Amino acid sequence: MNLRRAAIFAAVLGALAAGAMLLAGANPIAGFAALARGALGGERQISETLVQTTALLFPSLAVAFAFRAGLFNIGAEGQLIAGGLLAGLVGAAFVAPGWIAIPVVLAAGAIGGGLWGGVAGVLRARFGGNEVIATLMLNVIAALLANYLVVGPLHAPDVAGPETAELPASSWLPVLLPHTRLTIAFVFALALAGFLRYVFARTVFGYELRAAGEAPHAAARAGIDLRRTALLAMTLSGAIAGFGGATLVAGVLHRFNVELSPGYGFIAIAVALVGGLDPLWIVLAAFAFGILQSGSLTMQALAHVPKDVVSVVEGLAILGLSARRFARRSPDAA
Amino acid sequence: MALAAASLELRGIVKHYPALTALRGVDLTLLPGEIHALCGENGAGKSTLARIAAGKVQATEGTVAASGPVGLVHQHFELVDRLRVWENVVLGREPRRGGRIDVAAARERVRDLSRRYGLAVDPDAVVETLPVGIAQRVEILRELSKEPSVLVLDEPTAVLAATEIETLFATLHALAARGAAILVITHKLQEVIGHADRVTVIRGGLIVSTGPTSETSLGAIARAMVGGDVPPLSARAATVPGPAFVAANVSAGAGAHALRDASFEVRGGEIIGIAGVEGNGQAALCDAIAGILAYDGEMRLGERALPPDPAGRLAAGLRVIPQDRRREALVVAWSVVENVALGDHARTPLRRGWNVDRGARDAAARRVVERFDVRTPSIRTSVDSLSGGNQQKIVVGRALACEPKFLVAYQPTRGVDIGAAALLQSRLIEARNAGAAVLLVSFELDEILELSDRVLVMYRGKVAGEFERASFDRAHIGALMAGGA
Repeated sequence: MNLRRAAIFAAVLGALAAGAMLLAGANPIAGFAALARGALGGERQISETLVQTTALLFPSLAVAFAFRAGLFNIGAEGQLIAGGLLAGLVGAAFVAPGWIAIPVVLAAGAIGGGLWGGVAGVLRARFGGNEVIATLMLNVIAALLANYLVVGPLHAPDVAGPETAELPASSWLPVLLPHTRLTIAFVFALALAGFLRYVFARTVFGYELRAAGEAPHAAARAGIDLRRTALLAMTLSGAIAGFGGATLVAGVLHRFNVELSPGYGFIAIAVALVGGLDPLWIVLAAFAFGILQSGSLTMQALAHVPKDVVSVVEGLAILGLSARRFARRSPDAA
Repeated sequence: MALAAASLELRGIVKHYPALTALRGVDLTLLPGEIHALCGENGAGKSTLARIAAGKVQATEGTVAASGPVGLVHQHFELVDRLRVWENVVLGREPRRGGRIDVAAARERVRDLSRRYGLAVDPDAVVETLPVGIAQRVEILRELSKEPSVLVLDEPTAVLAATEIETLFATLHALAARGAAILVITHKLQEVIGHADRVTVIRGGLIVSTGPTSETSLGAIARAMVGGDVPPLSARAATVPGPAFVAANVSAGAGAHALRDASFEVRGGEIIGIAGVEGNGQAALCDAIAGILAYDGEMRLGERALPPDPAGRLAAGLRVIPQDRRREALVVAWSVVENVALGDHARTPLRRGWNVDRGARDAAARRVVERFDVRTPSIRTSVDSLSGGNQQKIVVGRALACEPKFLVAYQPTRGVDIGAAALLQSRLIEARNAGAAVLLVSFELDEILELSDRVLVMYRGKVAGEFERASFDRAHIGALMAGGA
């Protein structure tokens, strides 16, 4: 990933978005203006864009982590939900001062997501199961299981909707800007991106993960235990996504709700690929997609561009990037 | 000879790649009925020229004129591994009946081709299950099925056994006799002298000599390729052999290429050569020792049983140079530094706590680059952009860097040019002189006889004979390799 490629990609994506707006019968210039206004038009808008950026960043880093180890984890959505659910249940039940309650809630999220990712990791490591299918199915299971639990057996007495009871205010994440939803989760996400970059570039563990991902046969002969790396990569990837789910619970909704994620875990695949699986570029990509997420409603209201245009563009981005992955294997490589 | 008679005419070929210029103005004419050898070191531009001749790559400048189809047999085969032999041969030109592939006709076409050219292969075998030597036959058959007027073969004998090489050249002579022009790219100068009508030497993207084989000599071709004299091998020092590796009744793998009940010992300070035709259990033996193929029987390193996993074996001082360097030995997308570290990355001095020690890594990479004369712009260059010979130098250099107790080298000089091969062979001898036990698997009997203290002949997965250096008997070894007594 470099600046030139990033610019080309942004231009192509912009052109696609303009085309989609034209097809939807709207004026692309007005559409972009409304999008920018909705996402960046003021302190409130910018902070909301950063909330979306944060929400996307965790699962995107999770996806990139697994991809670098050669594992196509498309289950960040399920892992995010699993982590959010456990964080919501623990958070609602656990009353303590913030300095102890917040770490416990976030750890619960990481554990929930880690377990969910670990299931796919075990299937892969012990039985050679395909992680794509496993994580895809686990997404569905996570969503339905969460719904069942909060409506059924774990239903809190004084709650009407499909959600847990509210977390005590001491467990809420501190906000960075007063009267916004932007919390220290944003700082955590940036720190995590930097940390993962360090892990890949400087640690033996990161080196082994990349070797397993790039050249499994060579890695196995170099003494790298492929089953161990698959299990660890899937578990840690899930833990990152689950941690992200917990930050949504403790920072945004203050409870677990079955509509915790509008598909962050899926958009994350596009974000991770746009970012070239490099944590620093993923931060920028998450910001770009955060703009789309937070500006789309304004765009719909002001320029009459259906907000689904954003989903179309996200889908095209994934499609284009997957095609590029295959195109790279061209025969004239000498 | 009139120009119009040429089967293939290359004029003023120049080829620029983003980072280098591969060819700087090459003229080459192939005549019908001739076998023409093209020699040159790694990176001289041979493969690029082959691809341009076959129309696979566009020249930056210059013209290519051919009198008919040009077939190209690749150095790294271009086969669909998951498909059967007949499917690969007819791919893109399938015989049809109605809307469907006429399978019977396709099989028959393959059988007919392999009969005609003496290239035996089972049409229904799946390519990925075939050893490299046989896979290459499939590649040759595919090209022959196009009835080419020019056939270009890029390093065709690098993976073949002596008898297979004879068969191949018999095939090529037969083809030439029917009027085809054959261009053979090779490092093996005996083949050039023995079979080619004319020989062209290329160095640094330029033709440095061309002419009839009868008017040149092996030494003259080698000097033209290297641009000087080939260095002599290191001397063998007297060593005090002690037991290093013992295999007792080891069996591994399944099918025709399995290892069956092999027992032998490799002592410190000696090179054991495994002579044999490819596909007689050598790969299974190396994989079992490396720890990636399950085996029955017992293997010991020094006084202790071999640790169960590859990591433990690496730590105990075992290094294996595997068969497929691009897949099994290197991470080709990575830099020289990261590749040199692979395998030693988890131990000091290359690690410091959780972290990689970047200074130690760079130093290790520089040592390998210097000691093995790896031609690379920098240690940060990706291995993928280096020539095959330089990639191999990294693989061998890395294996020897830790001063292993026991080294298994599978075809360590495969596809490497004369000068580099001599360097790698010298380093193997030096490791032996320093007390390492070396197990050398090679399909080139000359290399085995040159380097080994003892030779074991493998046939159908079993040790069929053993020879001491003092009593090497080339004819007897050759007979045992072919299954004789």
